[in-house]
Amino acid sequence: MPQTQQPAPPQPMVDNKYGAAGEIMALSQPRLIAILQDKSASVYARAKACQRLAVVGDKSAVPALAALLADTQLSHYARFGLEPISDPSAGDALRAALANLKGNLLIGVINSIAQRKDAKSVDALARLRHDADAGIARAADAALARIRPGM
Amino acid sequence: MAFKSESVTRRSLLKKTATASALITAPHFVPASALGLAGATPPSDRVTLGGLGIGSRGTRVLQSFLAQSDVQFLAICDVRNDRRETIKSMADQKYGNRDCTMYSEQEELWARKDIDALLIATGDRWHALLSILSARAGKDVYCEKPCSMTVAESRALAATFHQLGRVYQAGTQRRNGTNFVRAYELARSGKLGKLQTLHAEAGPGERWAPLTSHAWLPAEPEPPKQVTDWDRWLGPAPWRPYNSNYIQGRWRGYFDFHGGGILEWGSHTADLCQWVAGMDETAPVEYEPRGMGADSPYSIHCRYANGLRLVLRDKGFLGLGSCHIRYEGDNGWVETADGGKIEVSENLRNENLLVTPEDAREATTNHVRDFVACVKNRRQPRSNALAAGQTHILCHAAYIAFQLGRKLAFDPATDTFVGDAEANRMRSRAMREPWRL
Repeated sequence: MPQTQQPAPPQPMVDNKYGAAGEIMALSQPRLIAILQDKSASVYARAKACQRLAVVGDKSAVPALAALLADTQLSHYARFGLEPISDPSAGDALRAALANLKGNLLIGVINSIAQRKDAKSVDALARLRHDADAGIARAADAALARIRPGM
Repeated sequence: MAFKSESVTRRSLLKKTATASALITAPHFVPASALGLAGATPPSDRVTLGGLGIGSRGTRVLQSFLAQSDVQFLAICDVRNDRRETIKSMADQKYGNRDCTMYSEQEELWARKDIDALLIATGDRWHALLSILSARAGKDVYCEKPCSMTVAESRALAATFHQLGRVYQAGTQRRNGTNFVRAYELARSGKLGKLQTLHAEAGPGERWAPLTSHAWLPAEPEPPKQVTDWDRWLGPAPWRPYNSNYIQGRWRGYFDFHGGGILEWGSHTADLCQWVAGMDETAPVEYEPRGMGADSPYSIHCRYANGLRLVLRDKGFLGLGSCHIRYEGDNGWVETADGGKIEVSENLRNENLLVTPEDAREATTNHVRDFVACVKNRRQPRSNALAAGQTHILCHAAYIAFQLGRKLAFDPATDTFVGDAEANRMRSRAMREPWRL
């Protein structure tokens, strides 16, 4: 019986301005930050820049990443980049976003704060435990349990 | 049979009710199978099972579950309508009824108090999170491998099942494969002498490259949610535009969804090496990638704290089938793979190591039986969460070393790389909202 051959997968996306994913992720930190600040950059280019900054980013990348926390398409990528940056400015940026976000984007930020075990967020999280949005209240509760077990 | 700790369980209630019904309502007809007569397993002794994301591999595992007389498959949850229908049809045909319930969201499955255990066979991106959330919902879990996407997920998986006392079996069925067990027993008997080097086949480079791609496929129109729920398919993984190739199984090889060949095969073979070395509660302390060129065979040379070496490599075995392992001691060696044949050093040729191909093919069924027995007796199966979590930490450490292209030192007591900040940053990944461990 003849074998049915699966068609070859399509070619991956290439960003018109910044090239293929591999090319973007080979850029230096300043170039990656510039992509995040480029208003004409595609979601693809900025997403890849965030993912690379998760490994090589330092405090100089924090403002550009933090600026994307309210972006519905890129908020998770911004957290992907911010969460592993050990500089306290990354924690400050996430904490500041607690006051400006709602819904799932806020839940995401709470989750990242929990992952970082940011003790400075305890008061804000304690308030969010009583949020009208049950998802947010649960996220805050879980974050507190992680930061201050037994609180 | 009351194998749960509660004083009144659904099982005990069912058993009592069935007996009482038979007495009170006689001559009302009660099927012999319902009472466990005529060789059938009574409901009180059955493990009730649900499925999450059952594709091609999951279907093979499910067939092994369906073949067990003391397992009743009750419900399927999948983000794809076609797969929900296929699995329902398979279960209904097996039981001669229309009872298998279909769900598109896992929360509905977790709410089913009559389901004891779940078979999870989604893509890798969901494995650890679904397992952990299922345990918190009171379910035991049989989950396909690779079981996690990161070091952090692996640790959380092990910790959750350990703390909650739920039963977990990773789909690393070779721990119950006859030829692999014989090789294990030979090594553990001391006949190889002191173990010096263990070899584990990592995914062959031409099929599963050790490095994964960060690329996206071009966007295609997203199907209606009731056909394929793309948002749920992605789950905790980063968003990317829909492309039908992903949902047709071609998600492997992408960093956001897959750990490359090291996780794909290492989750089996490094796992067997951990087992034979008695290292289920720790991991190597050193990881050195070699053969980084695209055309050269790759390997990661690992070392345990006691000096034992482990080599994850994609070439150089005897050609006995996929998933090779080779254990070398100072008095001999043994090698086997999925073909079932066991090769040994000259001095061990008199050992009785014959395994029939049929026996070698029974690994999944044996593994499923191990799990079902443990759901009943509340012990932990061979590929339990602690062992699987540790194996996956090993594999992720090797994968990180390969991505960074440098030798890494690792502290298994704290799951941290020593003196390498970049490597430490790769131990976890932010999950897409609203998901969290």
